[in-house]
Amino acid sequence: MVTRKGARKSKRRKAAKKTRPAKKTSRVKAHKTPVKTSKTTPGVNKAMRLTFSYDGNDVKLLSQQRTEMIVLPSDAVKGYGTHKGFWAELRSGSDKTLYRTVMHNPTKNDAEVFPESPSGVISREPAPKRRGVFVVLVPDTDKGEEVILCRSAPATKGPTKGIRALASKPAEEILRLKLKK
Amino acid sequence: MGTSNGQVLGVTRIVEAGPPEQRWNIVIVSEGYRSDEMAQFATDAKQFADVLLAAAPFDRLRAAINIYRVDVTSTESGAKDPKKCNGTGAKPRTYFDASFCSNGIRRLLIGNNGRVTKVVSKLVPQWHMAFLAVNSPISGGSGGPVATFSRATGAVEIAIHEMGHTAFGLADEYEYYSGCATDKGHDKHSKSEPSQPNITTNKNRATTKWRSLIQPATPVPTTSNANCAGCDPQPSPVAVGTIGLFEGAEYFHCAVYRPEFDCRMRNLNRPFCGVCQQVIVKKLTPFLPM
Repeated sequence: MVTRKGARKSKRRKAAKKTRPAKKTSRVKAHKTPVKTSKTTPGVNKAMRLTFSYDGNDVKLLSQQRTEMIVLPSDAVKGYGTHKGFWAELRSGSDKTLYRTVMHNPTKNDAEVFPESPSGVISREPAPKRRGVFVVLVPDTDKGEEVILCRSAPATKGPTKGIRALASKPAEEILRLKLKK
Repeated sequence: MGTSNGQVLGVTRIVEAGPPEQRWNIVIVSEGYRSDEMAQFATDAKQFADVLLAAAPFDRLRAAINIYRVDVTSTESGAKDPKKCNGTGAKPRTYFDASFCSNGIRRLLIGNNGRVTKVVSKLVPQWHMAFLAVNSPISGGSGGPVATFSRATGAVEIAIHEMGHTAFGLADEYEYYSGCATDKGHDKHSKSEPSQPNITTNKNRATTKWRSLIQPATPVPTTSNANCAGCDPQPSPVAVGTIGLFEGAEYFHCAVYRPEFDCRMRNLNRPFCGVCQQVIVKKLTPFLPM
């Protein structure tokens, strides 16, 4: 006997099978990175610009600015628990991730060094005294209560010791702040 | 020092795609241009905009992008060029205090990014990406919240590479740190999956990040480095533009993969690879007119 739930699952499976060739077509299109028109709804484009400073391991919020603008689409909000790197998340009151933006670690203590001639290669050098600011844009929504920053800790020994760009462990929460409403 | 050494004149939209609330907004700010050099800055900013909008995939996203020029004069021309990095020792008085030799690195050119973001936030509150164009013929630049570049030949390439990091979260795809011949401790990447969209430790064709872009005939991994003590010397075994899994990326010789043999995130003066282009298109699609 097939239950209603089972029937629904079976229908879904059949539908998925039917859509497979279409997926293949979209794969080819994806390779050419087609440009589609926006489905953004007018009137919901509000953003919060958070400016942080960093100095050594310290990261501090400098300012919070509300702006009417579109924020880049969210990166995946699931399945990144063991990922390494740096990102910011907008969390709800129940600590659900509403928005996530993956960033190239902005709290650098090394630097990208560019060649003198355009045909040369890029390289990196430690720059332990670096400090500065970075900016995070998140959607300004009623549900968004907090912003967290996650960063992988750098190695504590070996040749890559201390360099944040070379951190190898999954990211951990380094800062949590309640958004001003 | 700083803001007493110049003046913020104003903002001009040099590429107009629509209202700033609905478009992706780039701002180019001048540094080290005297008031009598602002025409030069206008030319430089226009040239930068032309190069950027001619590069794929931005050439197909023009309708999504506004570009603004923020005119800021400096009392004197150029950027600081300290002697300790074999520079000229020049110490021009400029608005954003841009200097080569940051952290003792000759071509690391940085201005006061906090000051830049303040000026930009005031004049273009909807800004997404800011550039600081420094009036110096010496090659240099830096990333971060403000991508900084000089007037040296090819420096615009630095700015676009840095924009890949700052605006789209793209990782570096080069497979070494200080250099293939000098690296120590860069043999193998850790097993942790990087969060960035254009590198991966997952070499499983069925589950890897950009699996939908890998053609069935493309071998996976597409290249393997036989000697992890150094960079892989082999040329690409597949045609230019083939997306696969090429071993070596994000400062490590092995155990991490990039999507194409070459890319703007690996070398300057290359186009963005297919995966990076897909990321950029996906991120900027909401900014296109409905």
